[in-house]
Amino acid sequence: MERNFFRYIWRYSRKQQLIILAITLVSFPILYASLELPKIIINEAIGGKEFPKNYLGFELDQIEFLLFLSLTFLFFVGLNGVVKYVMNVYKGLTGERTLRRLRYQLFERVLRFRLPYFSRASSGEIIAMIASEVQPLGGFIADAIAVPVFQGGTLLVYIFFIFMQDPLLGAAAISLYPIQGWLIPRLQKRVNQLARERVRNLRELSEDVGTSIAGIRDIHANNTAAYHLAEFTSRLQKNFEIRYAIFKRKFMIKFINNLMNQITPFFFYSIGGYLVIKGQISFGALVAVLAAYKDLAAPWKELLTYYQNLADTQVKYVAVVEQFDPPDLYPVERLHAEPELDLSACSCIALSHVSYSGEGAGQELSDVSCTIQLGSKVAVIGAESSGRTQLLLMLAGLLSPTSGRIDIDGRSLDTLPQSVVGRRIGFVSGHPYILNDTIRFNLVYGLLHRPIAPAEEIEEEELHRRMVEASRTDNAPYEFFSAWEDLAEAGVDTVQELDRRAIDLIEAAGMNDEIYRLGLQARLPEAVGQQARETILSARAMIAETVGEGGAQADFVEFWNPDAFNRSASLAENIVFGVPRDPEISQRQLAAMPAFGKAIAAADLEETLLAAGHRLAETMVELFSAVSDGSDVLAAYSFIPMEELPEVTALLRRAKDGLAKLKQKDRQLLIGLALQLVPNKHRLGIVTPEIEEKVAAARPLVGETLRAEDPEGFDFFSREAYSEALSIEDNLLFGRLRADRARSRERAEAAIADCVDRLDLRPVIMRAGLDFRVGINGSRLSPGQRVKIGLLRVLLRRPDVLVVDDLIKGSGDPGERAMLAKLQEMTGDRTLIVGMAGHQLAEAFDHVIELQGGEVISAESREGTPPQSTRKGDEAGVAAAE
Amino acid sequence: MSMEEEVRALSAVPILANIDVAKLKLLAFISQRVTFHPGEILCRQGDEGDTAFIILRGACDVLVDSGKGEKKVAELGKNDIVGEIAVLFEVPRTATVVATAATETLSLSRDQLFTLMREFPEMSFDIMRILAQRLERTTQDLAALRSQIANHAA
Repeated sequence: MERNFFRYIWRYSRKQQLIILAITLVSFPILYASLELPKIIINEAIGGKEFPKNYLGFELDQIEFLLFLSLTFLFFVGLNGVVKYVMNVYKGLTGERTLRRLRYQLFERVLRFRLPYFSRASSGEIIAMIASEVQPLGGFIADAIAVPVFQGGTLLVYIFFIFMQDPLLGAAAISLYPIQGWLIPRLQKRVNQLARERVRNLRELSEDVGTSIAGIRDIHANNTAAYHLAEFTSRLQKNFEIRYAIFKRKFMIKFINNLMNQITPFFFYSIGGYLVIKGQISFGALVAVLAAYKDLAAPWKELLTYYQNLADTQVKYVAVVEQFDPPDLYPVERLHAEPELDLSACSCIALSHVSYSGEGAGQELSDVSCTIQLGSKVAVIGAESSGRTQLLLMLAGLLSPTSGRIDIDGRSLDTLPQSVVGRRIGFVSGHPYILNDTIRFNLVYGLLHRPIAPAEEIEEEELHRRMVEASRTDNAPYEFFSAWEDLAEAGVDTVQELDRRAIDLIEAAGMNDEIYRLGLQARLPEAVGQQARETILSARAMIAETVGEGGAQADFVEFWNPDAFNRSASLAENIVFGVPRDPEISQRQLAAMPAFGKAIAAADLEETLLAAGHRLAETMVELFSAVSDGSDVLAAYSFIPMEELPEVTALLRRAKDGLAKLKQKDRQLLIGLALQLVPNKHRLGIVTPEIEEKVAAARPLVGETLRAEDPEGFDFFSREAYSEALSIEDNLLFGRLRADRARSRERAEAAIADCVDRLDLRPVIMRAGLDFRVGINGSRLSPGQRVKIGLLRVLLRRPDVLVVDDLIKGSGDPGERAMLAKLQEMTGDRTLIVGMAGHQLAEAFDHVIELQGGEVISAESREGTPPQSTRKGDEAGVAAAE
Repeated sequence: MSMEEEVRALSAVPILANIDVAKLKLLAFISQRVTFHPGEILCRQGDEGDTAFIILRGACDVLVDSGKGEKKVAELGKNDIVGEIAVLFEVPRTATVVATAATETLSLSRDQLFTLMREFPEMSFDIMRILAQRLERTTQDLAALRSQIANHAA
């Protein structure tokens, strides 16, 4: 990458820079006019005598002339503002575009780094560089050309003027420039060095923060907080020292500049005065020179500031760019080239004299040669430090050998683009990367190679605009808001089929129970059609029937009934007889919704709820005031979060004068508390039969008001309609589990499972379960689930060569045997390469390569092809074969 | 169905006898009320249990299976307690308890009790004292029994 920031700017924003310069030049006559006009107004319009004046063919008397000039003045002031506005916007635009390009280039380079580079680069530093370190460069970009040209030009004009008055005075005026020109860069150089150190130190600082967050558990577990605090303190100390040194030098430069600018007038007074006295120049000329010199100071100062900024940004720029310039970057074509090799038509992968070294002990390979027939099942057996993982990474095209070649039918694997390596070869390890999205996204992630079709929700015009802007700065030519799922690669025609296949895989991996449970608790995704909703409604009827048949014994669920109060549901649900569509709105927050407030007021429930909330608050304060703040476990039982307890206590004191006097906010808080009451569960005696009756009777009015006030806000319960705002389970049950019956959850699950199986609803529910969000790094999944998802992701795209490492130990326990059998079945006649530590499963493979200390110690092949053994390996190989 | 009723029932539980009313109220609030229909089982012999049931109303039979079929050994009614020890530690249920009438119980799980004990450690001391008293009484009974046996043998 270009190491000179100025040249970088020139290369990518030449045109814009020239436009900025042009606008700058245009703005001067306008500025001049707006400065000159007041003088004319005062001298000629106000103080003038000869009227009427003939102006541009018009006869103007004094007042008219004054008005004319004033309006002209106003016009120029306005025009000046407009030009400034246009220029500032354009400058901002130029800076932003250049910055965008730079950021894109940096990130693209990150994706072109070879894997080993990442064991040296820290993510904290790279993030800081791309996100924040380049930001201050933006402000400089727009000034890069215009400022020096303009200020330099102004300076030259003034100097020229002074020389015209008198060459000697001219020489005096610029006599100190050479000294400044020599001294200041020297001082600046040291500042630059310090700035570089500062950048490095800041990077280490952000890296420290990053590692502390990543290792927070071990910090607590090992009591190393003090160590990390001290480390951080030491970095801050260094930062402080550097900053302090920079300040001192920066202000020293300023001081020297000011001093020198003040010295020059000394020459004017002494030399100029001498010349005037001797009569060699006129007094007027000296005054003019002095005035010009005063004006000279401003552009000179600007130029020096510019110089300092240039130096500063250059340091920052280089400090970033040099980190993105490793010598062995993958060529950019590797990312973007389309696949030109059909791997399924190839016959073998040949390794000849492959060696690798670099990352440390136990990760090297020396002189490995062998041939792997495509379509066979291969085991690579070796301990953790045998170079096994490195060999497998190479076979997957993810790591390049330091010497030797890996060829697929004569084509070097290393030169193949990612569109071949990352689509037709699959690599799975025990530590897959899990994205903070849904399970489904994590599964189909392996199919997201290129946009397949434009997204429907964005208008074409908008897409075009985005594309044009992106291409201006050579950003990615792919539109992010597109359909990315490569259906063909998964071997399906529609998104529905893709979901089906994902579910099949989940079942094959034995994850169906977990996903089914998640699905029951989830809302049904929109992508699942109307048909499924109908089926769930039939299941709802079926469950109601089953429960009804069970008689009194089967009363584990209390169904929604428009005419009856549901004692197993909250007051909120009972009043609305529905739920808010927005899952973010809790029952408590309903109280603050204007529509809800109107509804309970209309139904005359407000005072009832307020009184209930008041009683509830009193009970809670009484029960929980003795509980210490730290007890989260107990707090889970309370209606009032522990930290709110003092606030509620104060509220209760205010309520002593009568509930009617409470402010709106207090009333809402109390009502919000009452809304969460579930009579069957909480049995505080607050929800009396009278209240229950009143609530049930108020439902039509409440529903009407809510529909009128907030038509989209609520989803109302109806036995005949699917409720999108409820989870699938709630839709199936259409009621609430009874808190006062033993094992109600267990029994409900059994009843649901029975209906689900009879109506074949399981795939639909699993599809909903796939939309479960897995959290950062898949933290809401178990480690086992993460590994499975990593494997399924690759299996979903059916690679021709599947490389698996670290998933199977080779100890031969029944679980592993079953897993291997499944893998072999799923890969069919495609290539499967499995890396493992133990020998127990070796007989299940066509070809076994054994590694030790980075060398092949045995290689045997079952299909009659001669094993391509290495030098020392021969004897050992024969021995092992026997 | 008032809280006072539940608190009264809780205070009748021997191991909770010394706990003050405020804590019992809290305990009543975090415990659950569970109803059983006639014929439904509260707990089954041999199962691992972690819940105690305090019968608020209704009636239950206690059945023990000693290998030769189930035999009714006792009847339970209002304010009787099922599985008091199970709340304190893991122990298999020693009998099956079946509701014979519509029965309402207050169910208290080990988690709930322990949560409260962690919050108010003095509760643990009260419970410990009662257990110690019981142990003392059992030891005395055992000693008396032993001396009886010794006398008998002599």
